[in-house]
Amino acid sequence: MASHFSGVLQLTDLDDFITPSQECVKPVKVERKQGKSVAKIQIEDDGSYVQVSLDGGKQTLEKAKITLNDCLACSGCITSAESVLITQQSHEELFKVIRHNKVNPCQHQKIVVVSVSPQSRASLAAHFDLSSSEAGKRLTSFFKNLGVHHVFDTGFSRTFSLLESQREFVERFQRREQDKKALPMLTSACPGWICYAEKTHGDYILPYISTTRSPQQMMGSLVKGYFAEQQGLSPQQIYHVAVMPCFDKKLEASRSDFYMNDAETREVDCVITSGEVQKMLQEENVSLKDLEPSAPDTLFSSVCGDEFLSHAGSGSGGYLHHVFTYAAKQLFGEEVKELTYKTLRNKDFQEVILEKDGVVQLSFASTYGFRNIQNLVQKLKRGKSPYHFVEVMACPSGCLNGGGQVKPSDGQNPKELLHKVEELYKAERPLLPEDDSRVADLYQSWLHSVGEERAKELLHTQYHTVEKMTNGLTMKW
Amino acid sequence: MKEALSLVQRLSAHPDSRCWFVSWSPSGTLLASCGGDRAVRIWAREGDSWVCKSVLQDGHQRTVRKVAWSPCGNYLASASFDATTCIWKKKNDSFESLTVLEGHENEVKCVAWAPSGNLLATCSRDKSVWVWEVDEEDEYECVTVVNSHTQDVKHVVWHPNQELLASASYDNNICIYKEEDDDWECRATLQGHTSTVWSLCFDATGERLASCSDDRTVKIWKEDPSESGQGDLSWKCVCTLSGYHGRTVYDVAWCRLTAALATACGDDAVRVFKEDETSDPTQPVFSLAAQVPKAHSQDVNCVSWNPKEAGLLASCSDDGDIAIWRFQEVE
Repeated sequence: MASHFSGVLQLTDLDDFITPSQECVKPVKVERKQGKSVAKIQIEDDGSYVQVSLDGGKQTLEKAKITLNDCLACSGCITSAESVLITQQSHEELFKVIRHNKVNPCQHQKIVVVSVSPQSRASLAAHFDLSSSEAGKRLTSFFKNLGVHHVFDTGFSRTFSLLESQREFVERFQRREQDKKALPMLTSACPGWICYAEKTHGDYILPYISTTRSPQQMMGSLVKGYFAEQQGLSPQQIYHVAVMPCFDKKLEASRSDFYMNDAETREVDCVITSGEVQKMLQEENVSLKDLEPSAPDTLFSSVCGDEFLSHAGSGSGGYLHHVFTYAAKQLFGEEVKELTYKTLRNKDFQEVILEKDGVVQLSFASTYGFRNIQNLVQKLKRGKSPYHFVEVMACPSGCLNGGGQVKPSDGQNPKELLHKVEELYKAERPLLPEDDSRVADLYQSWLHSVGEERAKELLHTQYHTVEKMTNGLTMKW
Repeated sequence: MKEALSLVQRLSAHPDSRCWFVSWSPSGTLLASCGGDRAVRIWAREGDSWVCKSVLQDGHQRTVRKVAWSPCGNYLASASFDATTCIWKKKNDSFESLTVLEGHENEVKCVAWAPSGNLLATCSRDKSVWVWEVDEEDEYECVTVVNSHTQDVKHVVWHPNQELLASASYDNNICIYKEEDDDWECRATLQGHTSTVWSLCFDATGERLASCSDDRTVKIWKEDPSESGQGDLSWKCVCTLSGYHGRTVYDVAWCRLTAALATACGDDAVRVFKEDETSDPTQPVFSLAAQVPKAHSQDVNCVSWNPKEAGLLASCSDDGDIAIWRFQEVE
């Protein structure tokens, strides 16, 4: 099966000879009930299995289910998780919820929230020859016409990710003498990288990874936490969809860390890619070009007037840029106006240095793509990495080139398309995270009120080593 | 005028195990072998016979599948089923482990040094082909990871005088890679074999490539510049040797000195083919010049021509032995 995941994940744990249906080696726990041991199992007309005991009593049997969470917790394979994803996280699911809302009375309806990433906006803008902001406004119309209640912008939640990354870095830098694993701080927004690190490098690499949540999962906290409370809704009454440039984001949304145990719901219920939105538009026979733009939903959108705003730095969120400028100011009192990126081995490996009187104060790098991640990981293992901070992304060229972006149309050069997407992304005016007064307000009104510990849970996450399974089926002969 | 293979010596190289691969040092004075016993052995001539000079142990946890000499002859790389590649440095008469290249997800199947000595290629059951760059301080960095095959990659080999890399796979295909815009990309996929392609070898000039397969054939491929364009390359099959091999052909070696083509086969035989001098270069004809049907008591895994001494051929087998042959004219 051709995989849509980033190259990093495609490489991880693949078995040559086992087909996907046989591939799953996850043991399923069977609840054994005490009682008479003799019983028949019968298949009903509807396909359900029932146990018929000697006295004729019937009991419906539960099917053994392998969920995406089982897949994530298992090192057996990655490809079979894809078929699970296709059913649980697809645009079909979103359509299903919308249809459900149309035929059910109000009290059973779900409030549907769609959070669109700036990278997806740029990808669809390039496809339809629009500006990024214009694409954002028309996407708002498209989703609202379908029956979606709110359309937000993960550029807004990214402001939280950037602010938290900045603070986390300075805190780590200050304890670098006592804690050997405080630095380098490796970014955590890329789920392909996280999944690879957890499955392949476990305990060794995980302590270096920033605990700051990605923009998608920050939005998860905002929507199912703050927004639900404001609207007087239970988190379960909200169906939250994220539109992302990347298939691996589906894995991220399914992590147990982002499952609200009390409310029995995920912070992000479904992730669809930019390409899947393009498919939805096709299925609905709609071109973004023909839609009337709607004003952005300002509650959780980074806007000025009705123009969407972005962040400075890379098209992968600008983590390096923001952490560098903040750290230079906070730690060394240096006001950095412009960052000088030095390309090293290849265009996906760059570094930025802060020097004072010939002494290197800060040494930052961005490493994109599997080959550069490899060198970073190997250097770390040998204690030879010179960096304080690394922006790590699994895809070559970063998120704007994510595996979920709209594919080039026939005859379109992929490199030219990527260039166009990058231009459109950069054309949006950048906003300084610390200048967003509404984010500052939320820190005050919401995060302050929930207490320090809860606020940390809402803004940060954790990582887990995935143990290699060693049963007969996964042995590498 | 007839030619034949005569046995020079048989060595119990990896007793009670398999000998997977043999490789001559560039000067032709040393022969490295590797096997299922996780060891690499270095052989050299002493008087009239070949003897084991050193054993490289403790480098690998599992089978060592291939060994390769650097073009300068001072380094040896070993690829193992333990997912790592070891680099050994020659110091006087012994070898010390210099570094371990990690990154492949599972079994590394092959390693090959580029003619420049600055690049190293590895391939694995994880379906990927990696290129590593070596700097003056003996530091290795990954330059690329290419996923052009859909199955286990069995073999990688460099072009003798261009920065061109070829790989062979369980997916029946051969891929040829070139560096483009600071990354390596597959520029040609050679389709034709109907089963696993086990090994590849360029001829002395690099104009032609020989491949051998589980489909019991050997194919000769030649670049067709008229159809290469836009960075893509076109290689066409110009000859198929079928009907000679009773089982899988595991290895093929093209002698740089004599242009003789040797094969290692699962039917325990070693064969040598020669190109008919009168045949059209675009449609070459090869005929069997010599064969030893029971060259080994089990599958022959590898054949390798000595780079300096014309006609000297080494083979190795699942029976754990190395056999050294002389291919020459007989009365």
